[in-house]
Formats: sequence, C-alpha cells, structure tokens
Amino acid sequence: MTESKLTSIQQQIADLPVQSRVFLHGPAGCGKTFAAVHHMQALIKAGVPSDSILILVPQRTLAEPFKKIIRTPNFTSGGEPAILTIGGLAQRMLTLFWPLVAKEKGFGAPDKPPRFLTLETAQYYLSNLVEPLLQIGYFESVTVDPNRLYSQILDNLNKSAVVGFSPEEISTRLIQAWAGKPSQAIIYDQAQECALRFRQLCLQQNLLDFSLQLSVFANHLWPSLLCRQYLTSTYRHLIYDNTEEDYPVAHDLIESWMPDFESALIIKDEQGGFRSFMGADPISASRFSKACEKTIKFTESMIKTPELEHLETALTTSLTYHKIESEIPIEIQNAFSIHTFRFYPQGLDWITDQVKDLVDNQGVRPEEIVVLTPFLSDSLRHSINARFTNAGLSLSTFRPSRGLRDEPAINAVLTLVKLAFPTWNLKPVKDEIRIAMLLLIEDCDYIRADLITQVLFGQANGILRSFDSVKNKEMQQRISFLVGERFERLRLWLEENAIDDSLELDIFISRLFGELLSQPGYKFHQNFDSAAAVNRLVESARKFRQVMNIETSPKTPDLNKEYIRLVETGILSAQYMSDWESKTRSGSVLVSPAFSYLMNNRPVRFQFWLDIGSQGWWTRLDQPLTHPYVLNRNWQNGKLWSDMHENAANQQSLIRIMDGLIRRCSEHIFMCTLGVNEQGNEERGALIMAVQTILRKLQNKPGVKHV
Amino acid sequence: MFKPRPMQAEILKYQNGKMGVAAVPGSGKTATLSALAAQLITQGTIYDDQEILIVTLVNSAVDNFSTRIASFVREAGLLENMGYRVRTLHGLAHDIVRERPDLAGLSEQFSILDENESSRMIEAAAAAYLREHPELAEQYIDPSIDLHNEPKTHKNWNESITSICANFISQAKDLQIEPAELREKIEKHHLSDPLLEMAVQVYFEYQRGLRYRGSVDFSDLVRLAHRVLSSDREFLERLRYRWPYILEDEAQDSSLVQERILRLLVGPDGNWVRVGDTNQAIYETFTTASPTFLRDFLREPGVVAKDLANSGRSNKSIIRLANDLNKWTRDAHPVEDLRSSLSLPYIIPAPPGDPQPNPPDHPQSVYIMKNAVNSEEEIKKVVESIRNWLPAHQDKTVAVLCPIGFHAEKVVEALEFAGIEIVEMLKSTQSTRRVTRILEKVLVCLSDPSAVNKLAAVFQLLTHDNPDLETCKSDVSNLFNQLKKVRELEVLLYADTPNGWRKTLQLEALPPVLDRKFSKFLVDMVRWQNAAPLPIDQLLLTVGRDLFTSPQDLALTHKLALLLEFSARNHPEYQLPQFAIDLAEIASNERKFAGFSEDDTGFNPEAHKGKVLVSTFHKAKGLEWDRVYLLSVNNYDFPSAQEFDNYKGEKWFIANHLNLEAELLSKLKAIVNDDIPGMFMEPGYATREARIEYSSERLRLLYVGITRARESLIITWNTGRRKEARMALPLEALHAILEEKNAAA
Repeated sequence: MTESKLTSIQQQIADLPVQSRVFLHGPAGCGKTFAAVHHMQALIKAGVPSDSILILVPQRTLAEPFKKIIRTPNFTSGGEPAILTIGGLAQRMLTLFWPLVAKEKGFGAPDKPPRFLTLETAQYYLSNLVEPLLQIGYFESVTVDPNRLYSQILDNLNKSAVVGFSPEEISTRLIQAWAGKPSQAIIYDQAQECALRFRQLCLQQNLLDFSLQLSVFANHLWPSLLCRQYLTSTYRHLIYDNTEEDYPVAHDLIESWMPDFESALIIKDEQGGFRSFMGADPISASRFSKACEKTIKFTESMIKTPELEHLETALTTSLTYHKIESEIPIEIQNAFSIHTFRFYPQGLDWITDQVKDLVDNQGVRPEEIVVLTPFLSDSLRHSINARFTNAGLSLSTFRPSRGLRDEPAINAVLTLVKLAFPTWNLKPVKDEIRIAMLLLIEDCDYIRADLITQVLFGQANGILRSFDSVKNKEMQQRISFLVGERFERLRLWLEENAIDDSLELDIFISRLFGELLSQPGYKFHQNFDSAAAVNRLVESARKFRQVMNIETSPKTPDLNKEYIRLVETGILSAQYMSDWESKTRSGSVLVSPAFSYLMNNRPVRFQFWLDIGSQGWWTRLDQPLTHPYVLNRNWQNGKLWSDMHENAANQQSLIRIMDGLIRRCSEHIFMCTLGVNEQGNEERGALIMAVQTILRKLQNKPGVKHV
Repeated sequence: MFKPRPMQAEILKYQNGKMGVAAVPGSGKTATLSALAAQLITQGTIYDDQEILIVTLVNSAVDNFSTRIASFVREAGLLENMGYRVRTLHGLAHDIVRERPDLAGLSEQFSILDENESSRMIEAAAAAYLREHPELAEQYIDPSIDLHNEPKTHKNWNESITSICANFISQAKDLQIEPAELREKIEKHHLSDPLLEMAVQVYFEYQRGLRYRGSVDFSDLVRLAHRVLSSDREFLERLRYRWPYILEDEAQDSSLVQERILRLLVGPDGNWVRVGDTNQAIYETFTTASPTFLRDFLREPGVVAKDLANSGRSNKSIIRLANDLNKWTRDAHPVEDLRSSLSLPYIIPAPPGDPQPNPPDHPQSVYIMKNAVNSEEEIKKVVESIRNWLPAHQDKTVAVLCPIGFHAEKVVEALEFAGIEIVEMLKSTQSTRRVTRILEKVLVCLSDPSAVNKLAAVFQLLTHDNPDLETCKSDVSNLFNQLKKVRELEVLLYADTPNGWRKTLQLEALPPVLDRKFSKFLVDMVRWQNAAPLPIDQLLLTVGRDLFTSPQDLALTHKLALLLEFSARNHPEYQLPQFAIDLAEIASNERKFAGFSEDDTGFNPEAHKGKVLVSTFHKAKGLEWDRVYLLSVNNYDFPSAQEFDNYKGEKWFIANHLNLEAELLSKLKAIVNDDIPGMFMEPGYATREARIEYSSERLRLLYVGITRARESLIITWNTGRRKEARMALPLEALHAILEEKNAAA
C-alpha cells in the first residue's frame, strides 16, 4: 500500500463534510484506517479543535496509525485528539466523578479515592479469597493451575460487564449451556460464588477491577447528567475504528451517545472479531449501519494479489466443506508453498535461512516479514531468537519476552533486596548470589562471581562480608581488586540504605538502580534492556503498593515480602504490553502468535506459518470456568452448547484467522509442516487437512510444483 | 511388496463390519493389519477428511505400523501420512481430550505429568500419611516384627505402601471413580478399613497436587477421554465419522476403559477389526486388562472370527514345545481354574513355499535344565554357554530373558565380567542418554564453576569416542591431565589473549583437530556461563545448540528444555543442581523418557547380531531372536497355585502373609460395583484369588518366552534366594514330554 496517495474512495472518506455520520465497512486491507486518519486531518484542517475529536479503539495498539500522525512535528499545535478505549474512558470518568457514584453504588469508603486494579492486582485479591476455598475442595472436578483459575473467575465478571448482564446470572447461563456430565456443573456455581465474594470485597474497599469500572461507568455515570454533559461537550467528533473488536456495552454507549456528536465515522472490518474471547462482538457492531446516515463499503484490497485471493477462497471452501468442487487456478501456487520437516529445530533452521535470503538477497525489509505460530512459548521464542541473532537478523514480538520471575536482571535486583533486608528472612541461595554478581558487577565473570559467593557470602545468615575480610591475598587477587572494590561499594550501599525496612520497595529499587547499578562500574550502566526490565519491576511494585489498602493491609515490610513472594511464584508477572513494547522495532522480523498479529493489524509481504498441523490453529482458548460464546449477547439463554456449536465456532474462527492472515499478506505464504511438535507429539489439525485438500485438487495438474 | 499367506489373504478380504482375529506368535499380524489399513485407504473406502484409526499397545509399534502403511500407500501412488492415524491408547486419549478439553474440565494448556514426577507425588503423599498414622503398620505387620528395630523392613513396608497406592490410584482411574465418590460410598456402606482409608486419602492428595499443577497423569488422560466421549453425543458422532474403521492390535491386552472407549467410537454398526493372541496376555495382574474382552468379542453375534495360525518364526521343535505347553495347560494342569489360561489355536508352521519359511529344525533345538542350581550358578552356566556358542555365531541374534529386572542386571554384570558384548533394552535409549548426560554435566559444571574436575568431566564426555580424535588419543589424555592440574579456571577461561589458555596449560603444540576442539570448548563454556542467568529451558537450548547438530539431538534438547521448564514451574525454588538431578535420572536410566532416535521408536534385534541382549520376558514381547535363554523358571517366578508355591505379592513381613494389594484392589472393585458381599469379604479371599490370576498370567508369560526363539531355546531355573524354590510345574511337565519324545525318537 502506498502511504502517500489516497484512492478515490478513500478520498471520499477523507473529504466527508464536517457534520456527517458515516458507517464504513469492508474487509481488512482495504485502507479504511488510512482513510480515517486522513479524515481526522481533514477535520482539523477544517477548523475543528483537535481536542474535541475522540478516537475510539478497542485496544490501544490499534490506534497506532493515528498516533503516528499526531506525533509528527507539523501536526497542528494546541490540543490533541483524545485516543481512548471505552475502558480507559471509564477509568477517566470514574476518577473525575467519583463522589457522584461512590455512595450510590455502595462503596465502603465513598470519601476516599477509588483504587483501580490491574489484572494482576485483581488476581492477587481474588487469590486471597479463593485459596481457602480450594483447601476445602472447591473446583475439584477441573484441572487448572490456580493462576488461570483466578483469571477465569475475573473473566466471568468481565463478561458480565462487557455483555451487560448481572454477575448473579453467570452460573445459570453457563449451567444451562453445559452439555457435559451434570456433576461437573457445580464448578460454575463455585465460580460465581467466588466472583460475588470478590465483588463484595471490591465494594467494601473501594477497589475497582475492569468489570466494576465498566459497569459503574455504563450503569451509573453515563446515565448521570453531569458526566454525560461533560463528555458530550468535550468530544464533538468521533472516529471509532475496529468496532468489530469491541464489546456490546461499548456499542450501547456509543449508540446512545451518537445523537450528541457533530460527526461520526464508524469503521468495521468484515470477518473481524478476533477478540471474541474478550467479548468482541461483530454482530453487535453492525448496528451502526443504521445509526449512521450513510454507509460506505470498501472492497478493493490494497494488499493481496489475485493468487492470494485464490488461496483464501480455496482454504475457506476446504475448511467449510472439506472438499473443493470447483477448479483451482494453477497460479495459486505462487501464493504459498509447503515445507515439510520432521523436527521443530529443522523447521526453525530453514525459516532462518529463508528469512536471511529474503533480507540479504532479495531486498526485502525485515519488517515486511512475519513468522506466525498458534502459540509462542518462551522456549520457542528463544530458539528463534538465537538463530536469528546468529544470522545477523533482529526479531521482535508483541509482548515482553518473559514474565518478571524469568527476567535475569529482575532476579538479580531482587537478590540484592533480599540481601539488604536479612530480617525479612528471604535468604538468597548461593546460585542467586553468583548470578547477581555476574549480572551486576562490571568485569566480574562467572568464575569470579562464584569465588565472591564462596568466600564473601554467608549462607547461614544471608549476608555479604567485606572484601577486606578475605585474609587470603591470593583469593583477593583471583577476584581482582577492581571487582573487589565494586563489590565493596555495592555491599556498603546495601548496608547504608537498608536501615529503614519500612521503605517502599519500588522506591528502594529505583534508588538502588539510580544511585548504584546504573553507575559506571556496574553492568546496568548504559544498558537499556536492563533498565527497561528494572523499570517493569518498579512499575509493577508501585502498582501493587498503590492498590493495597494502607489501613487494612499489613505493614510495608510484610507488603514488600508479599510482593517478592508473588513475583517468585509467578502470580505477578507484568506481562501486559506497555506502549513502547507494542511498536515493533523497524529493521526486525516480527515473530508472533497469529492472534496477536491479527490484533495489531500490520500487513507484510511474506508470512511464515510454523507448524500448520498444530491443533492450536483450530481449538479455541479453552477456559473450563467460563465460555466466550455462551456469555455473549448472540447466545440464546437456555440453549445447550453442543459439539456442533463447538465445531462450527472453531471452524468459523479458523476461517476468520485464515482470511485475516491472507488479507495481511501481499506476496507469499511459506507453510511449514512438522512431523512431531515441540513436545514430540504428532498432530494433524484442521488447517493441515484443509491444505491437503487443496494439494489433492492440484495433484494431477500439469506444472504443479508443490506435490 | 507384501505377499499374504492364505490365512492372511482371508483377513484381507474384509470390507466392513466386525471381525476378530486370533493370531499366534510370529503370524505376521502387524504386516497383515498394515496391509488391510493401506487397502482400505487405497481402495477409496474413506473420504478425504476421514482416517483409518489403528490402535496399538506401545509406542514402538506405532512407528512400525506407520512405516509399513506409509510404504504400502506410497506403492499405490498416494500421499503418505494422510488417511490414517496410528495411536497407542494414551495417544488416542490425548487426541480426544486435546480436541475438547472443556468437556474434561481441563484448560487447553494442560500438561501431562511424567511418570517420575507422578511417582514422587504419590510417594510424598503416602509418606506423609504414614508419618501421621504410625498405627497403620501395627495393624498389618506380623506382630513378631518390630519395625523400629528393623529399618530395612521398615523401608520395605514404606515402599510397599507407595506401590500399593500407585496401583490403587491407577486402577481407581481405570474404573473411573474419583476420590470424593469413593469416600461417599465408603461412608454410605460404613466400611471401616484402615488400608482403604489410607489409599483413598493418598488418592485425594495426589489429585489435589495434579490440579494444582494444571496437570493430568496418563491414567487420567484415558479416563477423561472416556468421560468426554460419553458426555457429548455430537462430538462422539463427529469422531465416528472421522474414524469409520478401527483396527486394534494386541487386543488381548485391552483394558476395561480401552474396551469402553473403542466400543463408543465404533458404535453399534461400526467397523472394527480386533487382532490379538489371548495366549500372550501378560499385563493383567492388578490392572483391568483382560484377554476375556477379546475372547468374548470373538464369540459375539455378528463378529466374523478368523485365525492367523501359521507362523514362520520358530523351527518345528520350538513350535512343538509351545503347543505342548498349551495342550498340557488345557488338558492336564492340576489346578482346574488354570486350564483356561491358554487357548487354541495351536501354532501351525508356515505352509510350503511360504516367503518366510520356518528355520530348519535340529534335535538340540530345545534344552531344559533339570538340575537344581542356585541363582549364581544358573547365571554362570548361561554365561558359559554363551561364551562357547557366540564366537561361531557372530551372524546370529541371542537374548537372555529374566522374569525380573533385578535378575537381568545380575546377568548383565556377569556377561560384562566375562567380556561378552551386551545390548540393553532400557527406559531410555543410549543416544537419548548420551545427549542427556552431556547436558547434565554442563549444568553440574555451571552450578560449581570454579571446580576444574567438573569442567574436565564435560570435556571428557565430549571427546569420548570422538572419531575425529581417534588418531591423537594420547594428546587428548595429556590435555586432560594438564587440565585437571589447573587451579585458577578464570585464567583459563577469561584469559586476556585468545591464546592464553595454551600458556596456562603449558602444553606443546596440540594436533590441530584437538586444538580447534578445545578452543571451541572454552569459548562455548564462557558463553554458557554467561547464559547461566537465563531461565532453565533457555539455558538448555543455548547449550544444546552449541553442542549438537543432528535434528534428533536438537529436538531432544528442546523436549528436555520443556521438561525442565515444567519442573521449574512446579518447583520455583529449583536451582541448577536440582535441574541437573532431573537430567541425571534420565541419563542414568532411572526415568522413562522417549527421545527421537531410531532406537527410541522400536528395538530391532537384527541390528545387534553377535551381541547378547538382556531383558525381561515382558519387554521381549513382539521380538524374536535366533537363540533365547529363559532364566529363573522356578515356582517362585512361575507359581502354579500349589501348596508349596510362594508369591511375590505376599510379603513375608505382613501378618498372615496377606497380599495387601490384592485385598485392597478387590475391595475397590467391590465398591465400584456396589457389590456389598465383596466389600465385606473376609481377609485372605482376595489373596487366594490373586494366586490363581497370577499363576495364570505366568503360564502365558512362559508361553511368550518360548515363542521368542527361532532356532534354539534353553530354559533354566534356580533354587531362589532361600534355596527352597523348585522347577516350575509347567516346566517339569514340558521336560517330561520332551524326554518322552526324545526317548521315542
């Protein structure tokens, strides 16, 4: 797609009159967002104040094309258009109008400010409620690790908020649809009980998780005159992109807000709705075609070739009917190729070579390539990264590569914290000290780090001894005086600054980083990756501290200890995506789970599909305590969710994913099949079967290369 | 090209419906079943989105079937690997559950607990229970024994309890009963049985541990697959459409739940071919597997029953011996209940002109040792016999089969001592163990980086048997010795100049190949040390990439990395030494782990000519050798429900010599079936029943042992640990028959 020129139909959108309401729809890759960005610019050019424009998206990363323009130096001076999600808007309004709803909604301390929970802190509170119940036998018929159990209970609450039903109805809806053994349905009652207990706790302690934020905003604030007046007078123009990825309550709100906007451009991707497990509802989004005066449809793909068009048709037909009756044009083979490997590493080697060839010999920019897989485990990401690094290629993903506890820099910092406060009784072990020394002290290699651990660390009391206390001069020389001096500075800093153990952890770590670890002589000095990791830790610790109720919670040292325990057990992992991480680095090849790739809407020239035999392309994210299709407005309450529904939903989802991927590719798709998957199992999912049907159809045609 | 024998051709006429095939050892059932699968695919019997489902017993058979079918399909000019699916029961269960985890109460990312971790959990739960209930021992231990003063017996008691719990849990799962339901029934019937209470509590704790890990074990997988199939009719119908034909191999070892799962998948009018040999059913003790399922199937109305009775495997003398055992058991066994242990058909030699004719017969094909000797002497005689025979028969295959692994280990020691080359069939294969051992040693080295001996151990392992270094062995040894003298490893690894290590080691110029290898090793080691802070899976992958090049080894490293990552999740406190222990267990064969080398996917005796394979009878199933030694065929390992027999399950330290496991499992079955008299059966009844069951299975085990031999068979026995054991009754009978025939000849 050329960025500079608009097609005539795009121009039509850009030039919409200032007071117009248009519903724009069409398949992905037709340039709808591009046209909307130009529309935003045109509005401003026409004299509309920038800050009266509301750009609404279901997920912040989807606003990137708008942000890119807003960030340019010659963008209009003065205010900026507001880029928000409905969730973000809800939080903003709650902060602003808290006194208005705090009492009415029955919050325990209406005179105190609200405390917004992140997913992780919500999980923390919930885990405290659920753990005792697990001990007495709750959820016995399901096998899910506790962290996922908590996230599903929260998910049920979120579904009730985004779909718009009472949390009290959760279990009834799920039980009515349950087709399995009746005895298993008890888990839904238990899940609801936990959800309601959690809701009660939130109300008592002014805690607002996402579901409560949204439902208080939608049911109490938005209907209030004051809030509504504020919103309708602040935002006069609306651009609402990717409505198909948003949930019905968001659509309800905007629908009722519509009459107050001077202009509205509402955009919907056909075949979208990838976030269905988070409540995305493309059917609900279709309502805007009626709410707008004009509907415009884009049909021409700006990206894909006729060959890719054939592939899309063939795959969709094959997935739907398990056979292809009509002829397949032989040119289809320009769109894709199949590459078979017995083992995972062979596939990864081949992809690396192929990507290198594209970049080095065929002039393809790395950001024009994506490697897609149904799941992206840390091990797989690491394996690809190692190969790419060896080949001189750079890689990026759509999420922090590791959870907090898997980040070496973070572990090293936490080891120092444990050393600093021996009274917390979180004694580090030798391995942790050795690694901390290696990672933190400049010029300290692994063996010297080991020597320091052996002679300067007392495992029994968990403290470091002075470098000067080493009587054996030979040992001092082996460690080296340079490293010894740095070690001593570190030890003294810890000794001097750890006097007050009631200091907040995030503040302590910030100081440790700023005053010591980022200074010359330590390896975090000018190391941006480590700085980013420590920043994640500080931010996570700060958020944790902020939501803890100072009056009812334990004292700070206990809070700090609890925080470290939560990081080490993986309950707190801070794997959410921050803004800077959502932008893939230029000059790097993207490696991503297919779903995240689709949600970030970034067309490329070449796609690699790793392991097309995997069931992961087909089966939905299964969460035994919740159900994305049942807790949904399009589901008729009381109906049974049978295998037919399951099968049809999976099929639709796979078709949608295939359509989405192919529409985001402009040249060629390399499909890799593997004899055995990462775990060593053979898999033959629906995607490979569908591809096989295409191959069989092509089998006897002259000039076919694949088979 | 497969040329079927007449009896095999009969099987290949199958088009649809239900068919049962009673096959004898060596009748070519894998080849026939594979040909049948290929025939159904190539004849266009199934649609593009359908598959022939082949269910077999063990992983090695999966690959064997896949390879054969692929070759048949290829011959027919079609795409291989499509149109069929070969699975073990566990593999099939995994496929089913993976497709609808919601119906099984699982999240889509459930993991399957490895056997070792599962055993550890049961052991911990049982130990905790025993600690809290010391009185349990008093109720079952012989009053003359004071456990406090007999630590060895105490240990035995604890181990027995763990093993009883493991079998109880596995069988409860097979019977599809959960701990809560069990408890409910026990309370309802006011059953008071301390052993049962203990087992249920351990089961309860174990399941809780699994849930906490988000894991299932292998038995759960099968149980849940059945639950999934029986709870959603539409899903079942979808699978019935996908697998319109089910071919089942080794059907004699079908368990209750396998029977139920396959019956559900086949449906009332489905197509099902079951092939098996009820005489080779050797997995029945304390499981729900039973040859009855196949026997009953063969008699079911609507089932076409066929025989595959021709076998070209053994010579006539050996076939005769196997048939004699069959006949004697059915007609003359002194215990009436044991006469049904073996059944017809007899083995019939291959017809004339067969492409796989029987080996030539000779008078000394079968030898049964009559004299009583102790175990050491028995082994000595066998080793002597092999030593005499082997040099002249380097192109032949030979196996020594023992009833238990411990005995097999003694044989291995004796053969090694005698300088005879041996082959082992173990839980993991040599190449898997080699890769795992190297990775383990690297982790050990990284956990104690200043220790030069650990660094040297890694280098030694890497250079061991390296063909590139064949010509400079003395240099390697010299380098190794110098390396061990280094005191300051930091100077060696982190030298200021790239060639600093040469100065540190004070070595003359090394041969270029060794110089290169050692330089690379040092560079690699530095990289691994810098990678030590990474999560364990990523560290392992980093090391693996530097060390291995073959796709199998890299794939194995990946699998090991995932295994350790799983350990790390379950044990956040684990550091490098604990991960190294995990690997050491695989490397030293204490832990079952399937790798990807050809050895892992099936053992081929033909690849080990001139060497001696030592194994158990059980592991030898499905395999054949030119010469076979069967050891320890006495009345302890092969009892016959006689007054003078002793039984493994009846521990000497248990009061009244009860078989606690049998007593407990019998009660479990009674509870599941709501069989009230069974629940309150007097102690000892189940023990007696178990004797019959065990003796019956041992008769079949002997039959399996005999039918492993192609050209010669030597059967020996010993007087056991207490020097009281005697020749097994069936062996005595066979000896008498043989003498009689020899005399007549």
